[in-house]
Amino acid sequence: MRFLPHTDSDRTTMLESMGMDAMSDLFTDIPSEFHIKEGSLNLPDALSEAAIVRKFTQASEQNRHAGNTRCFLGGGTYHHFVPAVVDYIISRGEFLTAYTPYQPEISQGTLQTLFEFQTMIARLTGMDVSNASMYEAATATAEAALMARRITRKSKVVMAGSVNPRYRSVTQNYLSRLEGEYIEVPMGNKQDGFGTDLSKVIAAIDEATACVMVQYPDFYGSVYDLAELRVACDAAKCLMVIVFSDATAFALIRSPGECGADIAVGSGQSLGIPMGFGGPHLGLFTCKQKYVRQMPGRVCGMTSDADGKRGFVLTLSTREQHIRREKATSNICSNQGLMCTAAATYMTLMGDEGLKAVAQRSAAGLHKLISSLPASVSAAQGAHFHETVLSFSSQATRDLFLQEARKRDIFAGIPLEQLNDAVEHKHLLVTTTEMIEAADIQDYIAALEVAV
Amino acid sequence: MSVDDTLNTYSAVGGIQHEEPLLFEHAHEAAEAISLPGVQGDISAELKAFSRKKSANIPGLSEPETVRHFVRMSQWNHGIETGFYPLGSCTMKYNPRVNEQVVRLSGLANIHPDQPVDSVQGVLALLHELQTWLCEIAGFSDVTLQPAAGAHGELVGLMMIRSCLDARGQQHRKKVLVPDSAHGTNPASAALCGMHCVELKSGADGRIDLEELKKHLDDDVAALMMTNPNTAGAFESDIKEICQLVHDAGGLVYGDGANLNALVGVARPGDMGIDCLHINVHKTFSTPHGGGGPGAGPVVVNDTLAPYLPVPRIVKAGDLYRIETHDEQSCGTILGSIGQVGVLLRAHAYIAAFGANYLHKIAQDAVLNANYVLHRLKDAYHVPFEGLCKHECLLTDEYQNKHGVKTLDVAKQLIDLGFHPMTIYFPLIVHGAMLIEPTETESKTTLDSFCDAMLEIAAQCEAGDTQVLHDAPVKPIRRRLDETQAARKPRLVW
Repeated sequence: MRFLPHTDSDRTTMLESMGMDAMSDLFTDIPSEFHIKEGSLNLPDALSEAAIVRKFTQASEQNRHAGNTRCFLGGGTYHHFVPAVVDYIISRGEFLTAYTPYQPEISQGTLQTLFEFQTMIARLTGMDVSNASMYEAATATAEAALMARRITRKSKVVMAGSVNPRYRSVTQNYLSRLEGEYIEVPMGNKQDGFGTDLSKVIAAIDEATACVMVQYPDFYGSVYDLAELRVACDAAKCLMVIVFSDATAFALIRSPGECGADIAVGSGQSLGIPMGFGGPHLGLFTCKQKYVRQMPGRVCGMTSDADGKRGFVLTLSTREQHIRREKATSNICSNQGLMCTAAATYMTLMGDEGLKAVAQRSAAGLHKLISSLPASVSAAQGAHFHETVLSFSSQATRDLFLQEARKRDIFAGIPLEQLNDAVEHKHLLVTTTEMIEAADIQDYIAALEVAV
Repeated sequence: MSVDDTLNTYSAVGGIQHEEPLLFEHAHEAAEAISLPGVQGDISAELKAFSRKKSANIPGLSEPETVRHFVRMSQWNHGIETGFYPLGSCTMKYNPRVNEQVVRLSGLANIHPDQPVDSVQGVLALLHELQTWLCEIAGFSDVTLQPAAGAHGELVGLMMIRSCLDARGQQHRKKVLVPDSAHGTNPASAALCGMHCVELKSGADGRIDLEELKKHLDDDVAALMMTNPNTAGAFESDIKEICQLVHDAGGLVYGDGANLNALVGVARPGDMGIDCLHINVHKTFSTPHGGGGPGAGPVVVNDTLAPYLPVPRIVKAGDLYRIETHDEQSCGTILGSIGQVGVLLRAHAYIAAFGANYLHKIAQDAVLNANYVLHRLKDAYHVPFEGLCKHECLLTDEYQNKHGVKTLDVAKQLIDLGFHPMTIYFPLIVHGAMLIEPTETESKTTLDSFCDAMLEIAAQCEAGDTQVLHDAPVKPIRRRLDETQAARKPRLVW
């Protein structure tokens, strides 16, 4: 077996040195009734490396993907450009095959990279501090609710209905076994039923409220002013939590920090990480400096070594479960380390200007698409970043369009009812990134014109 | 020199080992931005009204500078590809390169989770096959691939247990028994499920004490969370009785599968009476640790808990795979996606490479290596619990304490001798723990040189030559770091 270095004679030598005759002597502490016969598991026999490559290639070729289609899908996962350097850096064995940096003297590479990551995420989101990442956005949202409850010592969580339904259902589930109220405010602005009607959210706040959670840009792509919510949160002494699904937005539009967020969490998948059918992605978690000791997850801090040289370590570990056990701020004891390295590399390559260009082109694509829509298809009103809701006259029309688009190798959008079963079955959540070219939009419109 | 002093020497400091400043210290104007595809047009006037006012101030480096910066960062790291990494309870084994190659195929890496199901049959087939394999290997009837990590798997396992007990009308059962040798995540996960932990004191042999267990089994017990082999590296030989006692008391048994590497292909936790088990695929099935993640922690369950699995779930109907998103009895949604798919696909490739005919060799060689290390070190270091170990062995610093040397000193000296240290000060049930897990992918030559280094350190203690141990490490780019300073005045951003 090519991953095992021992020869049979090594094994014999080692067993003999311990006074043993056979491998089975090593397992006498397991009751014999539980021993299974070697090779008796119902699994295929071992595949050679070539056979594994063939099997995965065949599986890969059965899928349609963003490499051989035009992907107008979003809803929390986005097809942005990933420069070759990103994958090269995270493929390096020293990053790829290292453990959590518990021995800082020989982990300064991971640690300094995490410190740079935290700094760039804090700057991009306009927040004071960032942790060293969470699993992904939905669980980060749930952890933000738990953190707000700890900080305020209040338990009610008010969730805007225009937050990604997946983030909402995970948060609702996390909170369901704990005491305290969880309220989802039904959404829909006056014009088209999508977007965020802040007055409804504000009306749900009371003295018992620990935090209000809004998505910005919201799940429907809508960008809106949060100033009134900030005032309402201050009045009720509750925290304002901003959730986001595409961090590149904040190179272009007002950041969560500029909007006054106390905690801002969301997805960093857009920062150099492929869609990967849902993971691994990157959860981002940022907050104001004064709340740092209630933050969940790993965090890297600056210090100095025995010679006074600058260095980095994992810090604030007294929040964590190996010390605090059941009083820990979270049960999380890992992070998406390699994805942080990817995001740090990506942001370094991009810089402010590159990130802004990504956001600008993503938004410009949507503007172009909306401007070209035939009259019978409407787009949601108001400011949108790079996604919006298209509404058709009927489900049949919409589905015909989806078929026409597929013929042109276009994934035209996500039928909204798949993610939010409260809506009519005639809407499509459509997204553009910088990977969508003007010609792709022309083809999209051409398919629309055939269908409607 | 204070921490804030900028390191102004970027030249080589030892051979060609380089000091490397922070990105933010590469002081020059931003490089020309990378060229991008996409629509170069206007954005809407409505959106313009929301423009960011102040720049984010993210420095843009040119491509050569970026590559050099991060390559130098990588060179300050130790990884399993660089050398031996015997971290107990972490299973740092070789990560096959072919796995990295296949998960990067565009048809696996560049698929959107909300594509129509007919366009993702290839990836669903691989994931579904992995589901059946994990059930078969661990001896269970169903599985969720969703949990993003071991600790997340624990949480999901306890959620299912909660749902099951609630369905039995036993909402009052909120007590979770956790041995004092358990991973710290166990009690933290229980607290998130609205349950509370009671700690079981380990017996004199480091195992669960049946009498101690019986004392705590009452009508309030929801579950026992146990790790087997436990974190002292010992197999809980009373496993059958333990499970029986908990079940008789109306509770369920959660298995922490962090140590599955000792059993894979040799014995199955599901056969022993455990109700559910999370599998750290980044340990047993060799997906790379990436400096802290991503991992994945699928949870396998028996028939008792299967109805409560989270959604969405991958199911096969005829020749087609689909994703089921609704289930009345489910414990709910626990992640925003189907799982850490790229990690799971690597685990698939790893199991495929061993197959039925070689899988048991993983556990055999892992256990052989741990016992061999234990055998070579048992006279020089104190062994708290006698007998066979499984995939990892536990030592303490008791003998070295007499010379004023602690576990931390041993660990740091190992660095100067060219080895990543073992896990230190865990488990908490012994003083000065050193938990060594060599894994099956290390050669006898590597094990011997590690043991020689450990014996050399023990001999240095005996000889009173201890200053070098307190000073260690002196060879890496940084020496011991001041963790107190970092925590007292946290500086988390530049």
